[in-house]
Amino acid sequence: MRSTTCAEAGAVPRQALLLTCGHVETAGAALSRHATPDRAILALDQYALDAAPLEGCAGLLIGMHSDQRFLAAHAGRLERYLRQGGSMVVNGHVAYPFLPGASSFQPVPGGHPRDLEVHRERAHPIWAGVSAHDLTFRRGVAGFYGRGWHRPPEGALVIHSLGQERWPLDIIWRVGAGRVLLHGGNDLWQFGDGIAPRLLAWLFDESGAL
Amino acid sequence: MLAVLDGGTYYHHETIHGPRYRGLFDRVLYAPELTPAALRDIAVLIVPDRMSPLLLHRHRDLLLGHLARGRTLVVLGENEPQSWIPGVIWSPRPTNFWWWLEKGAVPPHRFPRPDHEFFRHVAPGDTVWHFHGVLTPPAGAETLVAVPADPEGRDAGGALFYDDRSTTPGRLMLATLDPFYHHGSHFMPATTRFLDGFLPWMRDLARA
Repeated sequence: MRSTTCAEAGAVPRQALLLTCGHVETAGAALSRHATPDRAILALDQYALDAAPLEGCAGLLIGMHSDQRFLAAHAGRLERYLRQGGSMVVNGHVAYPFLPGASSFQPVPGGHPRDLEVHRERAHPIWAGVSAHDLTFRRGVAGFYGRGWHRPPEGALVIHSLGQERWPLDIIWRVGAGRVLLHGGNDLWQFGDGIAPRLLAWLFDESGAL
Repeated sequence: MLAVLDGGTYYHHETIHGPRYRGLFDRVLYAPELTPAALRDIAVLIVPDRMSPLLLHRHRDLLLGHLARGRTLVVLGENEPQSWIPGVIWSPRPTNFWWWLEKGAVPPHRFPRPDHEFFRHVAPGDTVWHFHGVLTPPAGAETLVAVPADPEGRDAGGALFYDDRSTTPGRLMLATLDPFYHHGSHFMPATTRFLDGFLPWMRDLARA
């Protein structure tokens, strides 16, 4: 993984920025394995976001361990980046208002494994070839992929939901010319080698399709 | 006074600001903005698990100064303390999240000091979940939770939690356990039970 900033605005955006949280050696390793020269992932400590121009970045990757209070202090900048056509992948539970359109996280009520069952609401290329069953269980244990939900903004696509009540878990929506993928659980790139390369393909997709 | 550092993550938010424990903390200190003045009247400072180690390294003088002034510093897991606290020795181990699924599984945890005050507040079983590496306690420290040598020879065993009242003028409680993260993720009931006992003890210690 390289540590620098995205190319100047105006250059072809072929780089995405991964905000890291101080664990320098392990940050984003599961994702960066799938980077290529024309789909580079640049690691940047989250607190250096102030100094990094976002305009040249094809995407911004925000992991579950991020300081959301810090991000919320930069919410205006993040929203401008999105409105101008940027893409963001956000993991974890939203606890601070840093993401335009996102509601606060709520845990799924109930403690039975069926409350944590992942349901596919619609097909999406990021999860092609990965079954909802495989997302639900690891060694027979449910709950690693997600344990709660966020209210989808108007017009959002809900890809996966949880439990019989179908609480929204993987949500994609537009903000201006840009788009957000919110996965309300552990970092998406931890879930096997199937998802990470397709996630990057989505992030770098110049058509901007949801 | 009891203070806790807040790393601004969702799980710090849930554990620190959620209704279950919020009343126990006299002061919540947002970590990027930590100042010497904020620590002046603090007896016990908790550094929750999974703070940014770079940030802790940046605040090293403040945190070590707290110990040097005879105060108590609690540092929980995944904070790379070996990079910012002198004398800390930590060995990584691959994390076995699945020990409890193995047939007849018996956790390797040992409790060499069952009469320590810690166990009046936290049941031994409430310290038992997967762990992230082991610590080698310095001479004079009391090991509260220990594990034997790694079966594959990566380390000679050590502590998951120790209480060191010998090395500095203060008291350092150091653990590899990560209860703020798991409780704050609504994930693991043992971590909630751990905090149910541990945090009120810290409040009592801070007000004594």
